[in-house]
Amino acid sequence: MGANRVAVIGCGQTKYTAIRGDVSMPGLIREAAYRALDDAGLTMDDIDAVVIGKAPDFFEGMMMPETYLAEALGAVGKPLFRVHTAGSVGGSTAIVAASHVEAGVHERVLTIGWQQQSVSEAMWALSFPIPFQQQLVAGAGGYFAPFIREYMRRSGAPDDIGILVALKDRVNALKNPYAHLHEPEISYDSIKESFMLWEPIRYSETCPSSDGAFAMVLGSEKAAEQAQAATGVRPAWIIGTSMKSEPATANGRDQITPQAGKDCAADVYRQAGITNPLEQIDMVEMYVPFSWYEPMWLENLGFAAEGEGWKLTEKGTTQMDGQLPVNCSGGVLSTNPIGASGMIRFGEAAMQVRGQAGDHQVDGVNTALGHAYGGAAQFFAMWVVSAEKP
Amino acid sequence: MTDDLLHAPLTIEFGFNRTTGPVVGAFYTGLREGKVLGIKGADGRVVCPPVEYDPTTGAPLTEMVEVGTEGTVTTWSWVPTDREGQVLPAPYALALVQLDGADTAMLHVVDVSSTDQISTGDRVKIRWADERQGLLTDIACFEPAGGAA
Repeated sequence: MGANRVAVIGCGQTKYTAIRGDVSMPGLIREAAYRALDDAGLTMDDIDAVVIGKAPDFFEGMMMPETYLAEALGAVGKPLFRVHTAGSVGGSTAIVAASHVEAGVHERVLTIGWQQQSVSEAMWALSFPIPFQQQLVAGAGGYFAPFIREYMRRSGAPDDIGILVALKDRVNALKNPYAHLHEPEISYDSIKESFMLWEPIRYSETCPSSDGAFAMVLGSEKAAEQAQAATGVRPAWIIGTSMKSEPATANGRDQITPQAGKDCAADVYRQAGITNPLEQIDMVEMYVPFSWYEPMWLENLGFAAEGEGWKLTEKGTTQMDGQLPVNCSGGVLSTNPIGASGMIRFGEAAMQVRGQAGDHQVDGVNTALGHAYGGAAQFFAMWVVSAEKP
Repeated sequence: MTDDLLHAPLTIEFGFNRTTGPVVGAFYTGLREGKVLGIKGADGRVVCPPVEYDPTTGAPLTEMVEVGTEGTVTTWSWVPTDREGQVLPAPYALALVQLDGADTAMLHVVDVSSTDQISTGDRVKIRWADERQGLLTDIACFEPAGGAA
């Protein structure tokens, strides 16, 4: 992080659901934005700039919506612009917003990620047979399934680790009123018996398609102190941010544990002064759209040695009451408005630090990691938030 | 040289739908019923077609008001030549029409056969489509209302 301190001083989100048919896209976004402003004890007049992020335009057929959201976001007369990095966009957007405060350009920046999956079919929107381009005709799950198979082969993990992840995340979702999927009857057996979509990924080990938005207000040190005095809620200080990219296909590229992910984690840990992530990080909101990505990212993020991540899952380390709770909100496996999913990870990490997570709050969270990835596991965005001012 | 490079056609067809929300949805529902709705902004002026949030203050707007089906041309352009995909057989005018009771103008077409028949300040009225479906094309076009304003 740079010269000026930055903190999350407000969080707001919509109830995630398959179809939010009652609102327009601007109405959906605004709902989250104004909840974040309320949480910060602010109004739109207090905001200096708005930074938004969403998934590819083709997911919704809404081209460049930033060009007509100014009035809905109360951004008339203020800078308003959009960030885009595929599925990691929610994380990248928050980091770009933070950089404006960090640089001393703005005092308070509103940042929002969203998606209406219900207005189209995101699964296939990237699978057009565009001439001479690499094609993803399998959909996202079909694309990632072979890498999961390779992870299982390399690590020798028992074949039910994915079921354990899905069960944990869906049970956690029951404690989060905003989560899309609330499945009180979920069980190990019901997941195991759900139909196989792309072997080894079962239906119940796959993220849903959701509508929704998440927003945050990021503020300078002065803004954070004012917000805390007004609301009584402590800020979540951003003590490290990092984004890394790599090509989808390259000689020697390891798609199971991408170098860009390792580099991104190393960068954000260095900024945050973290040398032993398992000991020093109290909880993680991790981008896990398919169950097996939990053990895979546990390794990529340095919480376990290569080939060992599944053991943390199996031992219960990543449960709400474990040493390293992962995805207490229910995660992407329970809620996936793609353009918002990265920001939900970042925002839920901040909510845990702020003590705002309600029934899915982990006691005594001082330091939390928000993680997002996108594209062919090639774009990474992470931040570390802390209760302690850096 | 470039003739030797590979090329291939791509036709994209993909389904999308929209949620309109309470304001824009009401506007289209109104068109289906043969009436035009605007919305009162924070400054009391009427925006038509209506917007959900005040263009200046960003405040949510809720006060829908019915405006007239006749209005005034505020500026216009001329389309002299028939081309595929146009909403009317050419010639016709493209015009900004401010409906009576509204304070903003909307872009639409005016069915007149020569530039002699249209000028800024002219009065025009809606010609409704035979079957209305809740789309902007429920207004088939505008036509002269007869007599200058």
